[in-house]
Amino acid sequence: MFDPNVIRKDFPILSKLINDKKLVYLDSGATSQKPSQVIEAESNFYQKFNANVHRGAHALGDEATQMLESARQSVARFIGGKEKEIIFVRNTTEAINLVAYSWGMDNLKSGDVVISTIMEHHGNMVPWQQVCKKTGAKLELIKIDSEGKLDQSYFKEKLKLKPKLVAFTHVSNTLGTINPVKEMTKLAHKAGALVLIDGAQAVPHMKVNVTEIECDFYVFSGHKMLGPMGIGVLWGRQEILEKMSPFITGGGMINEVFEDHATWAELPDKFEAGTPNVAGAVGLASAIEYLEKLGMENVRKHDMEIVGYTLDKLCKVRNLAVLGPKDADIRSGSVAFEYKGVHAHDVATILDSEGVAVRSGHHCTMPLHKSLGLSASIRASFNVYTTKSDIDSLVKAIGKVKQVFGK
Amino acid sequence: MDLYREEVMDHYEHPRNQGELVGDDVIYDHEVNASCGDSVQFYLRIVNGKIVEVKWTGVGCAITTASASKLSEYLQGQTLREIKDMSEEELAQKGIGFEVNPGRIKCLMLPIKVVKKILTHTSKI
Ligand SMILES: Cc1ncc(COP(=O)(O)O)c(C=O)c1O
Repeated sequence: MFDPNVIRKDFPILSKLINDKKLVYLDSGATSQKPSQVIEAESNFYQKFNANVHRGAHALGDEATQMLESARQSVARFIGGKEKEIIFVRNTTEAINLVAYSWGMDNLKSGDVVISTIMEHHGNMVPWQQVCKKTGAKLELIKIDSEGKLDQSYFKEKLKLKPKLVAFTHVSNTLGTINPVKEMTKLAHKAGALVLIDGAQAVPHMKVNVTEIECDFYVFSGHKMLGPMGIGVLWGRQEILEKMSPFITGGGMINEVFEDHATWAELPDKFEAGTPNVAGAVGLASAIEYLEKLGMENVRKHDMEIVGYTLDKLCKVRNLAVLGPKDADIRSGSVAFEYKGVHAHDVATILDSEGVAVRSGHHCTMPLHKSLGLSASIRASFNVYTTKSDIDSLVKAIGKVKQVFGK
Repeated sequence: MDLYREEVMDHYEHPRNQGELVGDDVIYDHEVNASCGDSVQFYLRIVNGKIVEVKWTGVGCAITTASASKLSEYLQGQTLREIKDMSEEELAQKGIGFEVNPGRIKCLMLPIKVVKKILTHTSKI
């Protein structure tokens, strides 16, 4: 049985008091909380297995290496890729920069087109702006329709430009929209483009299988899916990764080094220069195990229920305008809104005084906010431990805004 | 809510000295709060190194608005030298006079940043 009230017991931080009130944590989209299992797995690594990996012939080093590779296996199983296609990085942002600078700098040239979308997190927009600036390629952004979904006919129109790459998010961190990744990937491939999908807001909430999506790169962060900070994943198709140059060079990623040049190690080592975050990878594997035990179908069902409940409640509050689609079937993870006449930061401060933690600002989607005519919004975001009672607390705290601002 | 006490709300709802100034004796600049995109612009009319008139424009939250409003009242009559010699914290203490929790310091300090920025490129001191 999936019961968020039972699940909560695994998350020590959720019993913390904020301003003498029970913490109502509705900022899981920024980073999720971590269950004791994950915290213990990471600390257990340092207590019993800590040694550097892929070096020195001693037993402890072998154990540490074994744990890193076993974490890689867990990730591969979880998203349906091969082990050597799993590259450990720090986070989503680093994964995208790796592709942008390695694949992008080698394959893009003046006149080429890269397609992204207006709903991207800055992490999947700024690296492409930078690489386009350096290579002379042109960045085209797909617009959204009035509901907050990607405008598919605009996308098809832009595909006629024969882009080299299409990079878009699986789930929008601001609108909550789930994009039709499989269909879009098929269309992009037909136009001759490679496809990179930003899964930062999808992997925590739903079953993702990269082989079924048939994309070329899929990236996500451990810290948004109950795992530790500082560990993230780039999955890339083997034949593409093999042709790519390394992004960061140095120790751990070489085959042979001569005085004036070097040759590269095989996958995945080629992309993992320097000492990796082994404890983070071990923690991530533990988070995956935790999610697998809950069952990703159940996780998604709960996600949809909470999103639906929040939409229902917030749509009834006067002066509130919810961003994104009104249908929980095509949303995941969060609900962002505007409080008419009161600045998002002021709303968030008032909510905070009631113990309700939400995000306010542009959530790293400035161009999207601008296109919606907003400078900032308030976002409530969820994870497996979010209860309907958390949402009730949110709605109650929103009532306080009127008391203070009279609006 | 302590933060949104009467004085702050009064300056938010009735901001003082809003508008623009033009003329050779006016120095101005603007600054943005990167966390929400809010921007504030300050205009200072300077006569013999003294601020004789202050106006400001911008969109902001209650904190930024009240802070800009209070600061605009304080600056009137000060010399540029006095303002330049103060640290940002000192200027906030004297010119704004209310405090916020750490998450809102950027909102509070935005008007201070603008004024300090103006002082980096003026020759009217
Ligand atoms: C959709 C999306 N992409 C990318 C990121 C960046 O993730 P990270 O900060 O872990 O690199 C986020 C996180 O806020 C996100 O929501």
